[in-house]
Amino acid sequence: MLTFITRRLLFLPVVLIGVTLMIFVAMSFLTPAQLVSAYIKSPEELKNQSVSELVVKYGLDQPIWVRYINWMKNVLKGDLGYSVSANMHVTEAIAKRFPATLELAIFAVIPVIFGGIWLGTVSAKNHNQPLDHASRIFAIVGWSLPDFVFGLIILLIFYGLAGWFPPGRLSVWADNIILSGDFVQYTGMNTIDALLNGRFDIFLDALRHLVAPTITLAYLWWAYILRITRSSMLDVLNKDYVRTARAKGLMERLVINRHVRRNAMIPVVTVVGSMILGLLSGVVIVETVFDYKGIGLLIAKGAQQMDYTLVLGTSLFYGVLLVLTNLVVDVLYAVIDPRVRLE
Amino acid sequence: MNSRLRTVLVLLLVLAVGFAVYSYFGPKDDAEKDDQDRAPSGVVTDPKTFVYISIGEPDTLDPAFAYDTASGEIIHQVYDNLFDYEDGDLDKLVPRLATEVPTVENGLISDDGRTIKVPIRKGVKFHSGNELTPEDVEYTIERAMISDPVGGPIWMFFEPLLGVQNMRQLIATVGGPENFSDINEVDPAIRRAAFDKIDAAVEVEGDAVVFNLAGPYPPFLQILAKGGSWASILEKAWMVENGDWDGNPDTWAKWYDPTKEEMTLYQKANGTGPFKLQAWDRSGGQIVLKRFDDYFRGPAELETVFVKYIEEYNTRQLMLQSGDADAIYADVQYLDQLRGVEGIRILEGLEQISNTVLLYNFTIPYEGNEDIVGSGKLDGNGIPSDFFAEINVRKAFNYAFDYERYLNEVANGAGTISTGFIPNSLPFSNEGGEWYYHDLELAEQHFRQAFDGELWEKGFKLTVLYNTGNNARKTAAEILEYNIESINPKFQIEVQGMQWATYLGKLDAGTLPVFFMGWLADFPDAHNFVDAYLRSTGAFAGYCGEGLVELTKAEFDDLVAQAMQAPTSEERATLYKEINRKAYEYAIALPYIDPADHRVMRDWVEGFVHCPAYSAKYDFYSLSKQVD
Repeated sequence: MLTFITRRLLFLPVVLIGVTLMIFVAMSFLTPAQLVSAYIKSPEELKNQSVSELVVKYGLDQPIWVRYINWMKNVLKGDLGYSVSANMHVTEAIAKRFPATLELAIFAVIPVIFGGIWLGTVSAKNHNQPLDHASRIFAIVGWSLPDFVFGLIILLIFYGLAGWFPPGRLSVWADNIILSGDFVQYTGMNTIDALLNGRFDIFLDALRHLVAPTITLAYLWWAYILRITRSSMLDVLNKDYVRTARAKGLMERLVINRHVRRNAMIPVVTVVGSMILGLLSGVVIVETVFDYKGIGLLIAKGAQQMDYTLVLGTSLFYGVLLVLTNLVVDVLYAVIDPRVRLE
Repeated sequence: MNSRLRTVLVLLLVLAVGFAVYSYFGPKDDAEKDDQDRAPSGVVTDPKTFVYISIGEPDTLDPAFAYDTASGEIIHQVYDNLFDYEDGDLDKLVPRLATEVPTVENGLISDDGRTIKVPIRKGVKFHSGNELTPEDVEYTIERAMISDPVGGPIWMFFEPLLGVQNMRQLIATVGGPENFSDINEVDPAIRRAAFDKIDAAVEVEGDAVVFNLAGPYPPFLQILAKGGSWASILEKAWMVENGDWDGNPDTWAKWYDPTKEEMTLYQKANGTGPFKLQAWDRSGGQIVLKRFDDYFRGPAELETVFVKYIEEYNTRQLMLQSGDADAIYADVQYLDQLRGVEGIRILEGLEQISNTVLLYNFTIPYEGNEDIVGSGKLDGNGIPSDFFAEINVRKAFNYAFDYERYLNEVANGAGTISTGFIPNSLPFSNEGGEWYYHDLELAEQHFRQAFDGELWEKGFKLTVLYNTGNNARKTAAEILEYNIESINPKFQIEVQGMQWATYLGKLDAGTLPVFFMGWLADFPDAHNFVDAYLRSTGAFAGYCGEGLVELTKAEFDDLVAQAMQAPTSEERATLYKEINRKAYEYAIALPYIDPADHRVMRDWVEGFVHCPAYSAKYDFYSLSKQVD
């Protein structure tokens, strides 16, 4: 296992160089003015210098490989340029907005994965029976509903009518405490920061604000996980070793949990990996409807406002994240399926 | 999982939940209890905390730079001006940081109208704890003038005090170049001479500040009054401590025309106003204001004000209905949804001296602007730089807009159709005069004539931008899109939203080919509108390209100056009539509505005062919440 992980880690820089190369090539299609905006550190730099002067200043008139090395030097220093739409450096914008999205993803991923797998298992176990049909219909409705419609319905029911789960990340009284200067924001994730500051009231308030977007995300993703789990489970249920397990008198619960579900997990892990990445890259509509100011909203605004610096910077950030997520998924394959390790 | 482990985990979980619930609802010390009382549930609301939800965030909090309503909203609460309007009445100017309103009768305005003496109030404290002095007032005006951000509001000091529009013109009047690229290239002696003029225009005399005007300027006191964020009084010592200009006549160039981020007060504030700036939480999209207990008129009823920025309207409405917001920004087309909703009050038909205009850029830059102007050529895939310099294009656009439909369907009848650049509510407007109306045949005629028929043959592709969240402007753009595309299938218009701060940034750079702007009166006079729209140094000239500057220089500048200084009302009327006629002849832009204003708030909000001269929607000082 260690050899496998080491091998993958050694391969990581190569993949990252590939990612940066792709993004750099994409950048080279931009006009000089757009390129300059990806290099300037603040808007002041555009004030007394023309675009052509800045092109020379940043070496954008040099051969592509020289430009790539120069660009990488900036990237390695964490300098991704200045974002006009966020009114701050891209690195700072990511640092400020990503924790909110990460927090939402962490809370959403648990019900999404476990709920989806459980539904898929129930569905497969009761193949072509009413429970199977019911869970499939439940999931298909979720998959078919546009997220902004479902989000608004959830907001209307759980906030507008019941008053339980408000939009935003915190209530006004909690914001008041957080912005007072006495509250230390260690991670930018309100639940964790609240616990670290010993404020359980804020922790509960932050949780309260996470419920509605989490329900929305969970319901929208369940269908996907359910379908994969169900078909994979049905496939495994017909295997000889399952028949053998049953024939030797194992309890059905053990057959399902130990022999079927574990073997059916490989395609599910693949899907879950990309799902987590999708959650981390921000769920624009959910963030908009619930006024949850995460990175999805930031990127969407950046793209809408033609803020190339922000879009490229966040693309690079997610490129790296994608590579790392794939690594985790590959490691999980190895954990689940010993054959992968042997390969 | 073995059953013992499971039992331990369940016990731990129960303990954790129990502890959390206890800490949330259990006994607390006073400070924590105070916080807890504010936790909202349903429509229960804290009577001391006010939440206003708006759209676009402020551009800056620096009074010398800010010239947009979102910035003005915050500056209004944090700073004070020398004068104010009593109960919002534009005819009743009252002293604030001054102790008297100058008049010729009380001897504070000289007979020739060129010297105005303003006695300054004593005992007024800044948020820093220091007391206001006349030197602070002098510093505020001079600091604004030496910084003079391009396209900013400081022309309102230059024009009455020195008879020029900006620092560049001032430098030219003392023998320097007007078109310098860097202020440091200007001879230091010239810079000093320019500063001496500013210094002489504003002087401290005992406990008063004396303004020496270039000529009579009747609305000057209104320029200094509340609602004019540019005249918010700053504290010199605090500014210097925070790295701003120290009043030295030889070093001011360092602070001339800074970018907004460079300015000391970009995201900081220290005024004498009823609220202190506690935080501008950019990642959370909100500003928090705290009551200033030493406010010289007595502390406000409200302790805390949250101004939140949420672009999704449905979320804003639900927060208002749930009581989590006390007031929200709602475009006029949403008012029908709110009528009759329990607990919500709508105030409609509020007087507003303003108009909304679609402006044309006569010289559209191509470099770095390809996403908006496409090919940059007259080839059907974009527009050329001089697209709107062609008068037939402008006239065609003006005839293509459906004014009635906009007024009735988008503005819900709240306002009147513009008849020119001066709002109908002001004297010297063009009401009853010749103006543009919706006529697609006339629009087609002008499109056919444009660029000698080449435009009609090849078509064009144009992006019309609006500030995100302003759905009325979005719909206005879509009306134009629908009508123009129906004239010729080769005409393509794309409507695209953009965040307010970015929208303003692009305007400053002069890169938008066509854009919406609303002009809320800086002071209630026709001059304020013709100066903004029709003068080569006006507020929008920098956004509309060199082509417009040349045209207005030749056709409007002298007329506008004469109309302002004309000694009698009759003479002013004649001159404004000529200005209105020329504005029609040249189809400078597309004014389409003089809107009426409205507010949407909870019915527990009391003390609302409407003043047409305020850019702020709410004066939080006057507000309170009557909650059972």
